[in-house]
Amino acid sequence: MIIRWVCEKCSKKWIYPIEKCVYCKGDITKQKGTKLKVVGITKVTIQSPMHPIVPYNILLLQDEFGNRVPRKTMEDCKIGDNFILQKARTKDAVSVVKIKYDIYEAIKESIELLNGIELSANDKILVKPSIITAAYPYQAVNTNPDFLNALLTVLFELGVKKENVIVAEQALIGSDAMDAASKSGILEICKKNGVEFADISKGPFEEVESDGLKFKIFKEALNRKIINVPIMKTNFQLGISGAMENLSRLADEKTQRDMYFDNIDVTLPQLAKLLPDVFTIADASNGMQGQGPLALGEPAFLNLVLASRNPANLDAVFCEAAMLKVPSYIQEAKKIEVVGNEIEALKYPIKQPISDATPHPDIKVIDGKACPACLNLMNNLASKLVGLRGRQLSIVMGSMLTEGMLERKERLVALGECAIKKLSELKIKPIAKIDENIDEVEQLVLLKKLLVTEGTPRITHVDKVKSKMKKLLSKVIG
Amino acid sequence: MFIKGVGMTEFGIQEAATSHLVYEATLEALNNADMSMDDIDAIVVSSIEIMSNGERQKHSGSVISSLFHIKAPILSVPAGCAGGGTALWTANRLQKTSNYKNVLVIGFEKMISNTSKNLTDEILMGGERIYEQSEGLIFPAQNALVAQQYMLKYGATTDDFALVAYKNHQNAFLNPKARFYKKEVTLKQIKNSPVVASPLRLFDCSISCNGAAALILSKDKSSVEIVGSAEENDCLSTFERDEMTSFWVTKKASEIAYKEAGITPADIDIAEIHDAFTPVELISYEDLGFCRKGEGKEMIRKGITNIDGKLPVNTSGGLKAKGHPISATGVSQIYEIVKQMRNEAGDRQVEKPKYGLALNIGGVGSTATVHILKNLN
Repeated sequence: MIIRWVCEKCSKKWIYPIEKCVYCKGDITKQKGTKLKVVGITKVTIQSPMHPIVPYNILLLQDEFGNRVPRKTMEDCKIGDNFILQKARTKDAVSVVKIKYDIYEAIKESIELLNGIELSANDKILVKPSIITAAYPYQAVNTNPDFLNALLTVLFELGVKKENVIVAEQALIGSDAMDAASKSGILEICKKNGVEFADISKGPFEEVESDGLKFKIFKEALNRKIINVPIMKTNFQLGISGAMENLSRLADEKTQRDMYFDNIDVTLPQLAKLLPDVFTIADASNGMQGQGPLALGEPAFLNLVLASRNPANLDAVFCEAAMLKVPSYIQEAKKIEVVGNEIEALKYPIKQPISDATPHPDIKVIDGKACPACLNLMNNLASKLVGLRGRQLSIVMGSMLTEGMLERKERLVALGECAIKKLSELKIKPIAKIDENIDEVEQLVLLKKLLVTEGTPRITHVDKVKSKMKKLLSKVIG
Repeated sequence: MFIKGVGMTEFGIQEAATSHLVYEATLEALNNADMSMDDIDAIVVSSIEIMSNGERQKHSGSVISSLFHIKAPILSVPAGCAGGGTALWTANRLQKTSNYKNVLVIGFEKMISNTSKNLTDEILMGGERIYEQSEGLIFPAQNALVAQQYMLKYGATTDDFALVAYKNHQNAFLNPKARFYKKEVTLKQIKNSPVVASPLRLFDCSISCNGAAALILSKDKSSVEIVGSAEENDCLSTFERDEMTSFWVTKKASEIAYKEAGITPADIDIAEIHDAFTPVELISYEDLGFCRKGEGKEMIRKGITNIDGKLPVNTSGGLKAKGHPISATGVSQIYEIVKQMRNEAGDRQVEKPKYGLALNIGGVGSTATVHILKNLN
């Protein structure tokens, strides 16, 4: 489809969405061309960072109104060919659509390419964005409010009643959902559209079982159709936080911790099995690259919408397109049907997460699938010491640690109860243990000492007094 | 307005800092005009301030103030590849409406300091972001689509494009400031060069390089006068326009410049044309009115635009073979015409041109400046 914004009065056309004609102030309507023909083609043989795979073709497409657009493809075409986008033939297909200045149209197209979404007026819907912490939309940490707004518009146009929709989310463990929803702009969009925002952490939850594992799931999620709206992000622990990871926050806090403790690569697919009626429409309008939202990740400006009935497939396709390693929780990434755009034509390497990196160059991490709370703590501590260079050490976290992971590693510092317990089981002695429940200033002082001194420094009474005074002082000043 | 002095660095892969390139070109222009920096009342500068060259230097105007210890108005007018021409157009108007007697115009770019992949990516940023950048429409590909439409409509061939490249390489062979000075390039090499974006081959594309060019525009009479000056803009993307095989900006800017100069295309004796890609030179012959639409190919086939032809085009070697340091290009075109008019062009000297035309284009026909110079000697 080719879209132009056309003035009803003077017929001037724009490729940009505008509301009024800047000449005659006439109203604007969208002109949508659907009968596309190839009128030009060039084969490009030189690489650029955004387009690393060569050769590729660029078609010049023209619609029934004479409007033209270029389009990248790996397939060979010839001038005069009709250009038709095939719709999905399989239930688990993934659609990938590039946003051409108009998120609403891209979302609609992503759904149409999957032959629509099965919704009726009386369906109860739970829209599950990803809002993990208080951050502004431009930071690409949470689902973009404009994306959610466009999605709600599409849902209402499909006949869904406002009163049957809730937008529900809980922030990462340790963050407040309402603060996050407010700063991210999501709360405002809910108000604007007259839909309720529900803080999942408040429950109620219902215990359900999958393959012998028990999950406490937000009750509303079990009673409603779920529209899963993650923002696609890199994540140094899982590879990505996408469609699957977003579902984990439908469980209560303890379940989430247990899921990591019991190996998130196994528990995440089990959780997804419990939620069969999930349609994912993923926000990659910006997306995130690098270490992920809690560790200096940065916007990736991907400009994509992905949709699928199969969240694991969607994650796999995103990883292929962004040239990231496919996460371990995905079994068969190769056989997925992709519609809308060809994966090979989309491939663009965003910044990969580095699994042992922290914000501090001398602090490495060995991650045994720690829960988000410990991850958050590790990133906070390491980032606060960035200017201080010292002796390299490795923070060890999580319950899924193995002897192999720790082999030939020196100066291990256990962080959190799971790691302390696991190291004890493995009979490995760290140079220090950081309890996740002690005061943050004490944690920081200990890590600082470990970085700059030899041996096995400990927190002294003087440190504790200093820590308390500092806390008191910050309260007074604050 | 009159051109008192011109200067330019060699267009090449020198490792000199950008500030030194600017210094070198400016010093030559000052010496050429027999002036010092004390005589300069204002400066208009153009650069796209390349990021990938590692200098991380923005705010060119103040850098130039620092470099020359000059406290005066300094305007920065980046306009993509049309930056140099746009700087001159701005300076010309500025001077006409002010009491500035001498205005220094500088165009510069340091492009060659990083991998060609990164440079390609940075140049791509001059394309429209949602349709062109995200669909991989790098500049050779944008021009390839234009070339293809042009071939389909008017029957031009890739051999015609090769002739443009060959002519400009022959000219650059004679130009000591050109990137391809004394470097022989054969027609066979051109025709057998690798395809970059079909139907365009490597030798259909201009060569990126480092360089700076400067000129001094003055109210004091000199031997070269600017008698026509115009700048026009159109949509950024070719696919947005009704016509892809002709650039409205070139037609409109030249129409204004001819009118201002009181001449017709037939009066032009020499031209420096923005041959960023060889088909653009053919299209420009037509848009500038040197021939009728679709007849550009005949001009190159008949050798009319050769250095010894009736209308020599790109005696400097053009962007194709002299080189194309983005914002320096437009100013360097004026350098060449002034040298030709003063009979200082050495081995590539043509016979006493009276009127010279410089066409500087930004994007694929999205910006154009046309300047007409008159030889008063």
